[in-house]
Amino acid sequence: MILLVLTAITLLTLSGRGFGPLDSLRSAVGSGLSPVGDAASWVFRPLSNAWDAAFSQNDAEKENQRLQEENDRLRGEVTQSAVATQQLQELLQLVGIPFVGDTPVVHTRVVAGTAGNFGDTIELDKGTAAGIQNGMPVITGQGLIGRVRLAGENRSTVELISGGGFKIGFLVIGTSAVGVAEGSGNPQVLQGTNVDISQNVELGQIAVTAGLRGSSFPPNIPVGTITSVRPDEAARQTRVDITLLASTRDLTYADVVLWKAAS
Amino acid sequence: MGSAFRYALMLITVTVLQKFLFQHARIDDVGMDAFLALSVTAGLVAGPRRGAIVGFAAGIALDLTVVTPFGLGALSYLVAGVVAGSMEKLIVHSGRSLTMLVGFVSAFVGLLFFVVVGSIIGVAGLIDGHLPVVLLIVSASTAVLVLPCRRAVHWAESPSNSLNPALHRWQ
Repeated sequence: MILLVLTAITLLTLSGRGFGPLDSLRSAVGSGLSPVGDAASWVFRPLSNAWDAAFSQNDAEKENQRLQEENDRLRGEVTQSAVATQQLQELLQLVGIPFVGDTPVVHTRVVAGTAGNFGDTIELDKGTAAGIQNGMPVITGQGLIGRVRLAGENRSTVELISGGGFKIGFLVIGTSAVGVAEGSGNPQVLQGTNVDISQNVELGQIAVTAGLRGSSFPPNIPVGTITSVRPDEAARQTRVDITLLASTRDLTYADVVLWKAAS
Repeated sequence: MGSAFRYALMLITVTVLQKFLFQHARIDDVGMDAFLALSVTAGLVAGPRRGAIVGFAAGIALDLTVVTPFGLGALSYLVAGVVAGSMEKLIVHSGRSLTMLVGFVSAFVGLLFFVVVGSIIGVAGLIDGHLPVVLLIVSASTAVLVLPCRRAVHWAESPSNSLNPALHRWQ
């Protein structure tokens, strides 16, 4: 028993030090399970559907009502959003940075969520065979949702930004305010810190990836909108809440940006 | 067919069930944990030593399918197996409800160990407002899963081999 405990602690230590073969083993298992997964998903689909029908009906009704109300509200915001989008494009041109869409992406399908209850992850149906590598950003049409944590030959595991497992350098559009954002426990909100208190950050402004030297993400991937600003005079910084533009729940498709951080 | 082989077979089955069935059957965004159920049941049926071994193996299987630090699942589920085995040794009973209670407590301890150790070594996002819900739902579902799992673990532990007569007929 002591031997097992020591082995587990050794594995934990190796994992903490970024021991490569452990990740390779995980990737190999992920790829090895993918054919089984396709078959199992087909076999278990009726059971999953039955479960959803039994336990999600109330949720669906509430969701439907909420969506109707949101639809009314969004109709009024369409015009405002169009103006905001135009302003964002103009600002990106002003700072002379290439538009996000120029970076090549791989279109993938989300085939599974996480196997456990901890660690916010999803699994994509493409991997290294499609050019995907560990660390690459993952986006939807609305913005950043995570990064590739483990790339197997034909499966990739994505760590979602909502999980709090990693930090993102962000820039607030229209200012030169940069900061660091990470998961807050709320799946739709990130907490941003280290924003220079002299910078005038306002509610509703858009935060994009900063792409500073050494950053894990390229510049200008939309992250979210600023929904709370809290100056901290003692620490000479401003703390902000960033509500994600892209939802990290119920994803069907996601794009992997073929961009690797400079090492 | 040895006990180790039968446990390996069970572990593969549990991995497939966990990854492709149980993760879809979620209540309040929490899924059942078949790895934990297997670890706890092994402890309940075969004692703390076997609980530790099976818990370690089931934890490794979990570690291979998630992105939390490798070894964290092995260490935590080992603890869950040992707790289940130790409690079973201390309590004299034959009731199903008490077995489920032991399953609930062992799963709760194992999961709490996972969260606490994970947080100590720097895994972000383990402790948040949703944690009590995760602990309760996973522990309760493990307590329920223990009952069908017992039959499977008894089969893995049984010295006689039910396939032997069939195999002899082939020879």
